[in-house]
Amino acid sequence: NATRNVDLTKSETELTTNIRKATSIEESAPKRKHVRQCIVYTWDHKSSASFWNGIKVQPIQADEIQTFKALITVHKVLQEGHPIALKEAQANVSWLESLMRGTSGGVMGSDGARGYGPLIQEYIFYLVSKLQFHRNHPEFNGTFEYEEYISLKSINDPNEGYETISDLMNLQDQIDSFQKLIFSHFRSGTNNECRISALVPLVQESYGIYKFITSMLRAMHTTLGDDEALSPLRGRYDAQHYRLVRFYYECSNLRYLTSLITVPKLPQDPPNLLSEDENAPALPA
Amino acid sequence: MSGVLRSVKNVTKGYSSVQVKVRNATSNNAWGPTGTEMADIARITYNSSTDFYEVMDMLDKRLNDKGKNWRHVLKSLKVLDYCLHEGSELVVTWARKNIYIIKTLREFIYLDEESRDVGASIRSSAKELTSLIMDEERLRAERQNRGSWKSRVTGLEDM
Repeated sequence: NATRNVDLTKSETELTTNIRKATSIEESAPKRKHVRQCIVYTWDHKSSASFWNGIKVQPIQADEIQTFKALITVHKVLQEGHPIALKEAQANVSWLESLMRGTSGGVMGSDGARGYGPLIQEYIFYLVSKLQFHRNHPEFNGTFEYEEYISLKSINDPNEGYETISDLMNLQDQIDSFQKLIFSHFRSGTNNECRISALVPLVQESYGIYKFITSMLRAMHTTLGDDEALSPLRGRYDAQHYRLVRFYYECSNLRYLTSLITVPKLPQDPPNLLSEDENAPALPA
Repeated sequence: MSGVLRSVKNVTKGYSSVQVKVRNATSNNAWGPTGTEMADIARITYNSSTDFYEVMDMLDKRLNDKGKNWRHVLKSLKVLDYCLHEGSELVVTWARKNIYIIKTLREFIYLDEESRDVGASIRSSAKELTSLIMDEERLRAERQNRGSWKSRVTGLEDM
């Protein structure tokens, strides 16, 4: 049956080590090899229970860098881990929210010595919204990768499609304000690697959402032929397009980020979503 | 040095001849894997299921190796790419089922002693391979038409 040959007992101990190292105190990106091991673990075991247990017992709350790195790690596992990780994450929302204590929104009332307080707070807001979205729309995977059946589904039920698109747009807006906050917290004289590493999953996620919205909106225009009803979504789509162009442009100047992932290149102007247009550009690849 | 150590390890650890072939093709040497090595391994995947699993388990181990052994990872991607084209259908099934192993290498990072980012070639190989494995039609076509992909998986020089 072509399965991998994994020593399940050994990997349990390794997971603990990987979580500890991914959330270490150094102000750097969470080391990819350790994050990768956490992701691979959820596929091998088809479970994320040990990941959650493991990260909850780490003393990450004592340090703002560690908390921030833990959030990046969680985000990556939600994106790339086995789909069960998204489901099992729902039971850990209150733990995520509890991490807000100790940041500027919480009892300590400070930004933290290195200014991660507001970033932590915004990250938690984002992850909680993301999880809420996945709870309401279980057909989406962690990176919103394009699947044809989703747009077909929305055509069959335009009301549901409308709602899904507007939920996706809300997430996209949150990504946008979060990325702006991250950029505004860059500190000169440092390499900002830890902050930039949080932009990596945001670029990937925003592009997945963008592709979905583009194809769903286009599909709905084809079926409904009702330009008027969809015009609010179109206006919002155009505005988000311009903001994304700007976001990706700024990311393309960050060498650490561009060495890691390909930053998407969007056309300067939003693609035409109306099916009547014979010259409508192809869906984003 | 590493070559001598490897042949000692091959004996002391009791590796089978199949495992030795894969280990040699995906070693830390600055050259290889050669076309002959890869063709050999691809052919083995058609043998018994024991042989098939010995190949895949060893590739799997190499793919998950640590950063210092980045050449193991890169060469295993090359060998896997070759086997996806010339090897048995089981290789395709294995790769689909375990695609997360390859997918998660798309962000592989390792800086060598001179702070040179040697992960770049692994990242691009992993990206290329991921999209190939997910594109059933393309893989099907490439398995039938051998010429079009060969340039990508011929021997690696000057690493």
